[in-house]
Amino acid sequence: MAEAAQSGPTKASAGPSRSLRNRRLMTHAGIFLTLIIAWELASRAGWLDPLFYPRPSNILNSFWLIYFKNGNVWEHLGVTMSLVFMGFVGGSILGIVLGSLVGLNGLVRRFLKPYVIVLEATPRIAVAPLLIAALGFGATSKIAIIMLVCFFAPFINTLSGVMNVNAEKLELFRSLGASKWQILRKLVLPDAVPIIMAGERLALTAALSGALVAEFIQRDQGIGSLILVYTRNLNMASSFACIFTLTILGFLIFRGMELVDQYIAFWKYEAGRERVSAKRRRAMRS
Amino acid sequence: MKMLKTTLLCSAIALAALPTLGFAQDTTVNMINPLPRSTNFFPLVVGEALGYFADEGITVNLLPSDTSIPYVAFIQNGQADLSMLDPVETVNAINAGAKINTVYEVMQNAPEAIGVLDSSKYDSVDDLVGTTVGLVSDRDRAFLQAALDVVGKSIDDVQTVVLGESGPTLAAAIRDGNVSAISGAAPDWIALNANGINVRLITPEELLASPANTFAANAETLEEKRPAMEGFLRAWSKGMYVASVNPEAVAQMLRKGVPEEWENEAAGQLFLDMSIGMNVSTTERLGDLQTGVWTALQPRLLSSGAIEKEVDVSTFLNDTYIAAANDFDRAAVEADAAAWLAANK
Repeated sequence: MAEAAQSGPTKASAGPSRSLRNRRLMTHAGIFLTLIIAWELASRAGWLDPLFYPRPSNILNSFWLIYFKNGNVWEHLGVTMSLVFMGFVGGSILGIVLGSLVGLNGLVRRFLKPYVIVLEATPRIAVAPLLIAALGFGATSKIAIIMLVCFFAPFINTLSGVMNVNAEKLELFRSLGASKWQILRKLVLPDAVPIIMAGERLALTAALSGALVAEFIQRDQGIGSLILVYTRNLNMASSFACIFTLTILGFLIFRGMELVDQYIAFWKYEAGRERVSAKRRRAMRS
Repeated sequence: MKMLKTTLLCSAIALAALPTLGFAQDTTVNMINPLPRSTNFFPLVVGEALGYFADEGITVNLLPSDTSIPYVAFIQNGQADLSMLDPVETVNAINAGAKINTVYEVMQNAPEAIGVLDSSKYDSVDDLVGTTVGLVSDRDRAFLQAALDVVGKSIDDVQTVVLGESGPTLAAAIRDGNVSAISGAAPDWIALNANGINVRLITPEELLASPANTFAANAETLEEKRPAMEGFLRAWSKGMYVASVNPEAVAQMLRKGVPEEWENEAAGQLFLDMSIGMNVSTTERLGDLQTGVWTALQPRLLSSGAIEKEVDVSTFLNDTYIAAANDFDRAAVEADAAAWLAANK
């Protein structure tokens, strides 16, 4: 009964909220379509330089060519996404582990933090050719470039999350005799996870840019090398099709990370809290 | 503490595992060049389509890279077995003490050229004095230097700007008159012409017959990889030979192998026609080293300032692989190409 009373208002509010979302979606779709039609008309009227702005209808045709007729984009897309995934995982693990170490241990912080900050200030695109020279060609150096690009957001966010623990709560934990492990598990991590997840969202989108930088330098495979081929041949419609592919992927990745965030740092979100409460209630009943 | 140890151990394992991803096998020939598989280097695509590299037991590991990467260094440290170098890069590398040998001439007619807008007033390199000339990459400065030297001018007589390899930037620069000419290579002209920006080449004749993108290898390891290198160059020669007897088959292989360059059929065909002219050897033996051309080339490069001093060609031109690279049955290759075309039309 109590559960029904709690879920009642939520269900009742779901209708208007869905309708609001649909209205917003329609508005965005309308704006998008208007822009595309304006672009197409301006291109046909000769107001836009075709060297820089190919017609949307040509871009659409290129989507058909590269995805279905020739199907040549799939292999490149697979390579890029594999690199993005491996670089992101590697960079994130490194960032979170080092961020935690630096945040939790004063000695490590004193020695490591200045170097990490200096590395952060170094332009990573300039370092990329050096990394390739040092690590050699192939996936290893590309992954290293992506790791370098997406290492800092998790590192900095983990560091701030770990170091900005609520002082009063910490005092309370200590006065109650909590062990270091308990403090980490019950206080530091829950406080830090939402900030770490924000860093992860930034890292994953940055990983896509890192992969492109790596593929612009090592041009064997990947969507970056395909874009280079198309732009060199002045095939701007196909080049735009690849760029829009990356835009869509970047958007999906970002939204995907938001969902992962809602699942991991569930206590930040009302829906997450309700989901976990319901699960716990069910577990208690059974 | 336990968690710290576990974390450090996991990180160490992850980092140790990374380099294994890039390791190649012994039968792999690592080749560094500026482009991925392309019509510009069709012998590779043809050799792969007809299975010639596989027949030789070779895996080709292409390392197409931006020209900011020091190609010679990768031959020296063993990461690349073959590198495509221009004559200027080759001579400069040898002058800098690099122990490399030129073992095969991929192109005997240089793809480099100086191009101007067809409707422009510039008829010769001499006319470019006092103007701004665009360079596709910094590598093209040496070619421009040599071209100016032919007409008795120097690089200081023009202003240069590196435009980069992006097609739209090059096209806009020459179309809008921001540069009087562009010093670049065949793929750049093809893209411009195919898109209605007609370019006229004003390259001095003296520079037309020049080797380019020659294969250089580490002089100290020529014997170590002899079977793989000979097999690689033989497969390359076969691919080159197909273009001289069955260009239609080559076009079809490229349509399938590099469809991104053939979305515009006319542009693809134009690209292939120019590439055949550059790639198919003019010497009797395919890929043979033209001692006379290399010798004649150097004084011009020296006077233009592109190289510091001339080098005795016998110290770096090494035809040790050329005989093996040409040791194949022409009739069998012709039959292979015809059969492939019949099956893939």
